[in-house]
Amino acid sequence: MNDMRLTERTVTEGVKISAQGVQVHYGTNHALKDVDVAILDKTVTAFIGPSGCGKSTFLRCLNRMNDTVASAKVTGMIMLDGQDIYDARVDPVQLRAKVGMVFQKPNPFPKSIYDNVAYGPKIHGLASGKAELDQVVETSLKKAALWNEVKDRLEAPGTGLSGGQQQRLCIARAIATSPEVLLMDEPCSALDPIATAQVEELIDELRSQFSVVIVTHSMQQAARVSQRTAFFHLGHLVEYGETGTIFTNPKDPRTESYITGRIG
Amino acid sequence: MSIAALALLVLGLAALGFVLGRQRAVASVKGDRRALHSLPGYYGWYVALFTATPAYLLMVAWLILQPMLIAYQVTGMILPEDIADGSSRDLVMTDVRRISEGMDSFAASGMTEAEIVTLSEDPAALKTALEGVGVALGSDINPHVAAAAVTYRQDVALGRLWMSVVALALAVGGLVLSSRRVGPELRSRNSVERYVQVLLVSASMIAILTTAGIVFSLVFESVHFFQLYPAKDFFLSLTWTPKFGGGSDLGIWPLLWGTLYVSFIALLVAVPIGLMSAIYLSEYAGPKLRGMAKPALEVLAGIPSIVYGLFALLTVGPFLRDYFAQPLGLGDSSSSVMTAGIVMGVMLIPYVSSLSDDIINAVPQALRDGSYALGATQSETVRQVVLPAALPGIVGAVLMAASRAIGETMIVVLGAGAAAKLDLNPFEAMTTVTVKIVSQLTGDTEFASPETLVAFALGLTLFVFTLCLNIIALFIVRKYREQYE
Amino acid sequence: MTDLSQTAGPVGAAKAASLVVADARMLRRRATEKRFRLMGLMAVGVGMLALVVLLTSILGNGLPSFRQTAITMPVTLDEAVLDKSGTRDPAVMAKVTTLGYGKLIQAALEAELIARNVDTQGLTVKDIAGMISQEAPADLRALVLADPTLVGTTISFDALANGRVDGYFKGRVTMESAVDDGNISPEQLRVAQAMRDIGMINLVFNPGFFTKSDASELRPEAAGLGVAMLGSAYMMLIVLVLALPIGVAASVYLEEIAPKNRWTDIIEINIANLAAVPSIVYGILALALFINIIGLPQSAPIVGGLVLTLMTLPTIIIATRAALKAVPPSIRDAALGVGASKNQTIFHHVLPLAMPGILTGTILGLARALGESAPLLLIGMVAFVKDFPAAPPAGMFDPASALPVQVYSWTQRADPAFAERSSGAIIVLLVFLLSMNALAIILRRRFERRW
Repeated sequence: MNDMRLTERTVTEGVKISAQGVQVHYGTNHALKDVDVAILDKTVTAFIGPSGCGKSTFLRCLNRMNDTVASAKVTGMIMLDGQDIYDARVDPVQLRAKVGMVFQKPNPFPKSIYDNVAYGPKIHGLASGKAELDQVVETSLKKAALWNEVKDRLEAPGTGLSGGQQQRLCIARAIATSPEVLLMDEPCSALDPIATAQVEELIDELRSQFSVVIVTHSMQQAARVSQRTAFFHLGHLVEYGETGTIFTNPKDPRTESYITGRIG
Repeated sequence: MSIAALALLVLGLAALGFVLGRQRAVASVKGDRRALHSLPGYYGWYVALFTATPAYLLMVAWLILQPMLIAYQVTGMILPEDIADGSSRDLVMTDVRRISEGMDSFAASGMTEAEIVTLSEDPAALKTALEGVGVALGSDINPHVAAAAVTYRQDVALGRLWMSVVALALAVGGLVLSSRRVGPELRSRNSVERYVQVLLVSASMIAILTTAGIVFSLVFESVHFFQLYPAKDFFLSLTWTPKFGGGSDLGIWPLLWGTLYVSFIALLVAVPIGLMSAIYLSEYAGPKLRGMAKPALEVLAGIPSIVYGLFALLTVGPFLRDYFAQPLGLGDSSSSVMTAGIVMGVMLIPYVSSLSDDIINAVPQALRDGSYALGATQSETVRQVVLPAALPGIVGAVLMAASRAIGETMIVVLGAGAAAKLDLNPFEAMTTVTVKIVSQLTGDTEFASPETLVAFALGLTLFVFTLCLNIIALFIVRKYREQYE
Repeated sequence: MTDLSQTAGPVGAAKAASLVVADARMLRRRATEKRFRLMGLMAVGVGMLALVVLLTSILGNGLPSFRQTAITMPVTLDEAVLDKSGTRDPAVMAKVTTLGYGKLIQAALEAELIARNVDTQGLTVKDIAGMISQEAPADLRALVLADPTLVGTTISFDALANGRVDGYFKGRVTMESAVDDGNISPEQLRVAQAMRDIGMINLVFNPGFFTKSDASELRPEAAGLGVAMLGSAYMMLIVLVLALPIGVAASVYLEEIAPKNRWTDIIEINIANLAAVPSIVYGILALALFINIIGLPQSAPIVGGLVLTLMTLPTIIIATRAALKAVPPSIRDAALGVGASKNQTIFHHVLPLAMPGILTGTILGLARALGESAPLLLIGMVAFVKDFPAAPPAGMFDPASALPVQVYSWTQRADPAFAERSSGAIIVLLVFLLSMNALAIILRRRFERRW
């Protein structure tokens, strides 16, 4: 299975996720209006925009996390590798194994560090034995740049780590299931500058294997880590393109206002 | 003067004080209310409170102390030889009280006090006369007892008189003194508010007093019990055979065993079902089912335990006997550990369910999201993330449920049986601590035999047991909540 | 966008398959999920089922007690027997005891049986009289004393039937069981059936179940809930009058005034623990403190009311504190800001706003207290009480029973007729509890404020 996934990944260059006419309603609140976007593989895409602009909502559509909110209603089409993820036959459980997510606040399970990382591989049956599982855990922790700090205390509770470590643990937990896309919802907003720098560095490294989508409040962060940027405003996708272009030569006046600090 | 009349009189004085205080306050500033420190009403209250409170406090104290003092004095008049065999001082004192009540009826029907005293000197005539007013006595009246009754009656009347005098004096004194102090400078609002605060504090002290009362009454009578019956036998003996003639075996173990066995079965029923329904209702059920099931569970929780007891007695017990115990050859008693356990389990389902519901809802949504984002199914999330995270809280909930099961009375009284035995067969009738407390303390029993007093030792054991479980549970749950706050 | 559909050609299709098609492991996981869901649904179902079985069992057992078998017959109220003086003065007529009325009824029944042609072969005069409840003469006497003008007339009188005859028509007593029964014979039942066929015996609504007091072992048909309901009402009154003000005062102190220190902590832990102390322990407290030490009378509503007050206090305090907590601090700041004192703030603003919550909690606490029986057993309320307590306040010291305790004492009687009656009493109790709960829910819905 792993092999197959690898070959697929090498073949599928270009667009990973494409969304067309996505609308989201929370009860009577129209949170997202007609969003079209194509997210590229092996790229870091940043969603920026003022609070309540719909960027996090859209992110949560990409792995159907909105399903857990009873009042949310999603229409339109979102394709992952050409497959509509809102198709009635799609099991969100299988989708989320491919599209992992890291949240705003680190949310390690109240288990040991090892069990936190091993949780995904265990439920998806990705490792056939203890040795293989150990291997997956070690690799994931290494990829998340946490291995050196925790290798001597894998049995310690994950909740005992510092904030930055916890967030990297959550990233390790997410990549342990070998997803194809990694969604990050303001992953650094609860972290101090040093931890933020570590996570940003990590995001850049992850780009070689995954398609990373990151929602961020900080335009500097978007400029630092992303290749493509989408600007959301009041539920609309205003502008989407190369990060450099968006920041230096925005087409839409609203984008310009935002990055120059006049709205937001 | 009757107590009610006295209380009303004091209340009237207080009302008078209110009017007086208010008037004096307004008059002292010649109608310019702004010159007063407080609103005029506060001056009224100030005087009223100083009038009523000391008088009422005195009345309460008097009413509590007077019977004790009189009883002490009158008991001294009864000599040891006046107490017949098989009787006790307490029983004789009851006679004294009843005779004096009969004398009250004589007085009410027009007899003079002197005539009553003369009558009391002739025991036979007294007895006949008493029967005439509905006071029937078992045996002939001992002259000492009759004399004691007369003294008792006189003391009560005298005490009542003095109480009235002193209480009224206090009320009038309070009224005069406090209304004299009324003037623009008096900070009556502050005084009244301080008074209200004292009232509030004393209300909250009732909780402490209740606990103290419970502990005191349990320990006091238990000590009494252990003076008559060795503590070693109570805590170590494996047999329970009370004989009211004396020579009983009062070992707690058969009762404790029954209690724990019934509670165990109850928890076996209640914990899985309660926990699973809490999980289902909070994680799976749609708003419609939840809207129906939650109130239904609340109804189940609001049903008093006597209803469950009757359910055990009339329905579950015979059903279990006819379809399980008899066909399996396990016994033919409809009251059994199983009957009581299952019904108690049903009673505890809503309790466990609502406690676990709170606990499960306290697990942050972020943890669930984290698990879903990794592609876990709902049941995987519940079993591997939510439940382990909620485990301490659930343990606390189970302990609370256990404490309720152990302290439950009516279901076991009606469903478990009365035979104290150490047996493993769940279809056998067994008995519990609470059942024995009820059976030893109901009916006519005197408070001097170990067979009755043992109930207090059982109560103390029960109290300590449930208290420990609750304190541990409260502690665990509190720690658990802090973790996610 | 167009190039997407091209690149998504064969590879996309393979991907599509992997999202929609589940492998063996996924199928297993889905099966586990389904099983788990089913278990949850079953657990909820068991809870609901238990409620349904409980209620049907109680209703099935108890509803018959609202109807009672009565023998209808014309009774001539003979002046020579009932009012020899002819004055129609109830005080004089009260000299005639139930024995005199009993003879009248007996004669009336015999005459009616002959008149209606009922075959009473094999029955002695005593057997025929035995079909009537021993309570019937007392009922007739009460009827006549209430309206002396009836004397001399012939009235149609519904005499309560004996409990066994009643049981026969309710299915409790059968011909087989009557063979070994000292109180009824199959012959009597046969005659009763014949009387039923010609309409002499009917099942009628039984108001006596609500108004009469308890009756002895021999006449279950006459046992009623009057004293028990009155006793419960007295106790609820005491609980309401004591627990509500004390509970509110204690909550106000703890929530609004008390400094956050060790002492307050102790009181709080204390209250939490009191809420969990087994009710029977409160019974022991009442027995030792109120009856043995203070010397209050046994079986009296005052003692029951006091102990139920102590039991209800923690519930009311916890509910009141929650209601006070729900009042936002901005209200307090606003009142303090215009110069109100702390007490004025609490009594003029916070308490009125918290009142709906407090009342809801109080009603629920009262409902709890109404259904409580264990502590009342220990203070002697299980005793047989025939006389109604006097009006309060004196009646608070008279012996009385209570609804749940009446249920218990009826279960302790040998005659199965009392089992029916205790289920009936439960229905009455549940109706009270449900109305109280409904009232609490209405209050909550009507006045609930979301800040």
